[in-house]
Amino acid sequence: MSDKDDTETPVLTETVPDGNCEPAKNSECVDQNAKPGSKSEPVGSTRKRPEAKPSSDLETSKVLPVQETTSKDVPQTGWGYWGSWGKSLLSSASATVATVGQGISTVIEKAETSLGIPSPSEISTEKYAPGETNAKENENSSPVAGPFGVFSTISTAVQSTGKSVISGGLDALEFIGKKTMDVIAEGDPGFKRTKGLMNRNSTLSQVLREAKEKEAVRTASEVTMETDKKTHYGLLFDEFQGLSHLEALEMLSRESEIKVKSVLNSLSGEELETLKLELQQLKETFSLAEFCDEEEEEKKGDEDFTKEITELFSQLHVSSKPEKLAKARNTAHEWIRKSLTKPLAEKGEEKQSEAENNERVNENSVEDIHAFAIRSLAELTACSIELFHKTAALLLHGRKQEVMAIERSQTLSQMTVMLCKELSFLSKEFTTCLTTAGVKEKADILNPLITAVFLEASNSASYIQDAFQLLLPVLQISLIENKMESSRHEQQSQRPLSE
Amino acid sequence: MEAIWLYQFRLIVIGDSTVGKSCLIRRFTEGRFAQVSDPTVGVDFFSRLVEIEPGKRIKLQIWDTAGQERFRSITRAYYRNSVGGLLLFDITNRRSFQNVHEWLEETKVHVQPYQIVFVLVGHKCDLDTQRQVTRHEAEKLAAAYGMKYIETSARDAINVEKAFTDLTRDIYELVKRGEITIQEGWEGVKSGFVPNVVHSSEEVVKSERRCLC
Repeated sequence: MSDKDDTETPVLTETVPDGNCEPAKNSECVDQNAKPGSKSEPVGSTRKRPEAKPSSDLETSKVLPVQETTSKDVPQTGWGYWGSWGKSLLSSASATVATVGQGISTVIEKAETSLGIPSPSEISTEKYAPGETNAKENENSSPVAGPFGVFSTISTAVQSTGKSVISGGLDALEFIGKKTMDVIAEGDPGFKRTKGLMNRNSTLSQVLREAKEKEAVRTASEVTMETDKKTHYGLLFDEFQGLSHLEALEMLSRESEIKVKSVLNSLSGEELETLKLELQQLKETFSLAEFCDEEEEEKKGDEDFTKEITELFSQLHVSSKPEKLAKARNTAHEWIRKSLTKPLAEKGEEKQSEAENNERVNENSVEDIHAFAIRSLAELTACSIELFHKTAALLLHGRKQEVMAIERSQTLSQMTVMLCKELSFLSKEFTTCLTTAGVKEKADILNPLITAVFLEASNSASYIQDAFQLLLPVLQISLIENKMESSRHEQQSQRPLSE
Repeated sequence: MEAIWLYQFRLIVIGDSTVGKSCLIRRFTEGRFAQVSDPTVGVDFFSRLVEIEPGKRIKLQIWDTAGQERFRSITRAYYRNSVGGLLLFDITNRRSFQNVHEWLEETKVHVQPYQIVFVLVGHKCDLDTQRQVTRHEAEKLAAAYGMKYIETSARDAINVEKAFTDLTRDIYELVKRGEITIQEGWEGVKSGFVPNVVHSSEEVVKSERRCLC
């Protein structure tokens, strides 16, 4: 996954900001953006560096206040904004085709539509100058033709995206996440802080913890921003103890790694070669190759998911069970079902009864859906990591089992794929909820929410994959210990365990 | 959910298997008693805010360790990063009381160079009729090691709050007096967040912008 970074390089050079779109020339700026190959300052500057340095923040924030003075009611994420995003995604997509391949680029294009990004041609056919005119329309709260056009395509596109993303591999989802995150960072205040993550020099839990702490400082100093807290993935992930489990898993992983190394150092000759080979085989099961090959699966019922994950888990022959995870997952799906059935019923019978009106009060706003989506993703991810942590603890200290380390790693690999697919599927469902509930919302409100859900889902998937990788040394040491155990049985304890 | 707190303390809960560590923590963090619970695997995590004085909150990060011997090598690794601990025994199980020495010895070895403020907890005090350890001898033992002693019941919710908050207060006093300090690379005590202290120019701009949306 990390080799993606290489493919980004050409894109980055391409989007280095050149034309300083002066805020005053707002509308012109957007028109420019509509043409592939043009550049825009805010996007360019944020996209340059995933590990945002403070200077860039200053840079962008310097630009934006001026923008506000020119057209005071233009929301942050007006068409100008999305227009430039659409553009930069397009150009990055085309840059990627060469390096990464056709599959991903189609996914990106589809995701793009699903995210409600107008295509360049759509933007250029927009009659009004996206700056002032759009804002006025918004004030009148009259339905804007543009956004509606986009909306109608969203729900269908979202569905197809889900499929493409899965079949195209979760890499693609993650890729989209990486591509878009800098842009989103602009619109979503809570978002940017966690994204230092792309820099993987320190351990994941450390980075996450730092991001969370920074975010907590920020939210604590703005106590009023309640919604901010409710939708901050990092804070929620920690609340579900995801960080702690990750930290604990890292500890076990590190310890095991040291043990493996010391064993390897103590061996020589043929013995060493055989062990190295076995460890290599084990490592190969951790490459998650089947991500791309796997067929797209049909929607799973609650029982199916529970059954499947329980079955996989039982193959591991460790004593813990994935109940908590299954429960969290099923709760999320139950919520989605309820959320989706309500507005649909409303559509058919516009005026029914007083009771219906009461229903409507309970209806979820797009903000509610967004908050719940982020929360669910954080919870599911935390549960998954807890599961991996527990598995590691049991692999190291559980009762002896007659299961080969390689079989276990295959099962764990399958489980990782399954969990990531589930996250992808869930994010798709949530965005469907969002588009259904947000029919009357403006694009600049709805789109960032949809994007945020996709992004956090892709982040979740990378956390799970990283956690999975942490299991490798654990399985390696359990392989070694099993080997030694059996050879000790054979040779009547000639060589003691390295421990 | 996330509120403002002065400090974050990491507490560890140790003691023999089946003395009721997880149940005590669950009562404290979730406010309910879990009748059936599986043995803890390795370590589990819980957190809760405690208000020690009006407006002064401490976030407790509670590490629930497995009592089973086979996980001992995992749980040992966690002593080092804890500032406080609850050492539990079951008042109806003499053996678990006798093992208190061992637990203390073990932590002493693994906590270096830091220190853990322990409280000795005699758990399951609702089962007084089956008591095998008298309050007197437990108090004596606690005093010998410079610990406080408290008897609790997760089932009947007796002294559960007190056990945690008293310990938190004691640690807070030590922190206030400078006897325990926040240290780089140590997770035991972390500084919390106080509202409206720093507003970088960036943040101010951000919040203004958001209001316009």
